[in-house]
Amino acid sequence: MLKIRVIPVLTFNGIGLVKTKQFSNPRMLGNPIQAAKVFNARGVDELVFIDILASKQKRKINLPIIQDVIKECYMPVGIGGGISDLWDINDLLRIGADKVIVKSKALINPEFVKEASDFFGSQCITIAVDAKKHGDGYKIYNNLGVDIDVIDFVRMVEDSGAGELIVNAVDNDGMMNGFDCQLIRLVETASKLPLIALGGGGDLHHYKELFTNTNVEAVGSSSIFSFTQFTPLDIKKELQAIGKPVRLC
Amino acid sequence: MGNVASVQKALNFLNIENVISNNSDIINKSGYIILPGVGSFSQGMNNLKKYGLVDLLTDQVINKKKPFLGICLGMQLLAQKGSEPHETNGMGWIKGEVIKINTKEKRIPHLGWNSVNVINSRYFSDLTSLDFYFIHSYHLKVKDPALVSSTVNYGIDIVSSVQKENIFGTQFHPEKSQSAGLQLLKSFFEINA
Repeated sequence: MLKIRVIPVLTFNGIGLVKTKQFSNPRMLGNPIQAAKVFNARGVDELVFIDILASKQKRKINLPIIQDVIKECYMPVGIGGGISDLWDINDLLRIGADKVIVKSKALINPEFVKEASDFFGSQCITIAVDAKKHGDGYKIYNNLGVDIDVIDFVRMVEDSGAGELIVNAVDNDGMMNGFDCQLIRLVETASKLPLIALGGGGDLHHYKELFTNTNVEAVGSSSIFSFTQFTPLDIKKELQAIGKPVRLC
Repeated sequence: MGNVASVQKALNFLNIENVISNNSDIINKSGYIILPGVGSFSQGMNNLKKYGLVDLLTDQVINKKKPFLGICLGMQLLAQKGSEPHETNGMGWIKGEVIKINTKEKRIPHLGWNSVNVINSRYFSDLTSLDFYFIHSYHLKVKDPALVSSTVNYGIDIVSSVQKENIFGTQFHPEKSQSAGLQLLKSFFEINA
């Protein structure tokens, strides 16, 4: 049986790890290599690492640092930030990334998702879906001036061959007050792709709520691992108690 | 292309001397051959042909019986043919074909940790866990059930590993499967030592 994935998400600003609230007010957290080492020792299911400023600052992701992060990981790693051509993807896969996470380039040039998935295979192309509430629905949060509904974006990247979605509720980011189950249900109904729910996990009961109210098979979190004593294993034990399949190790 | 860096890292961790190569002298002198791979079936075959590796590998593995491990696409390429993105002939060491996972109720790709059902315990005994990491949209349908060494359920039963004499192939990624994967890699080298 496929196990629920609990995935620590490391957000990086080009210098160190940071944690934002609602995508602003970054708080410094420390060294990404050290964090990767700790999560590897804890046997986590997967790790996500995103340079959240690379696209905004129009720079490439820092490959030597990524390489040092991946070196610590004997589990799958998804890397995102500043990906703007096929060479960027090639560079990341070559140093051992399993998946690359694309957002800005998919908004600017939807054709890019198709090029990338045709060339490297759908399985390594993950799309970041940063959803911000807008009236009754959600739009993709971005600084590029692109106005697109979340569902339209999701359908577009799925049709273009994306392999996975990371759905991040911008309004819940860093607030540690629970997930946006409405958003996750909306996306999981609209798409057949595997998806990772992100944004709002702050206490163990939030994960219970998410997995009771949605059919999602993976969850990403950041704040709970930085600002509380809880580990990915604690979350998995909580999910096991409500009958969800998890990998305990 | 693909996951060679991760495989090398796992081998280094196990203190197994290794080299990433498409050079025929190096491959001829090697004690074991691992073929990792991500990407599409046709692109994988094109790459093997471009470097003249199909004949070389066939000689080494089929004629000379060198221990061989294929991982993910590296296992699928052993089939007679694939369909990603269009019909392409494979190396044909294992009778069967590679087709898209067709299940109504499951999300594709099959992505994440799933537990395998061991049929042939040759490489799987003594593992502390049978959860391995999968990431694939296509799967290998094997003609001869005796070659299936494990299966995994994802709506349908999927071949998660094949074994035929000196040939071993895994659909999952042992190099990404934490301690269970490292133990499996270790037993591949120990059993074929």
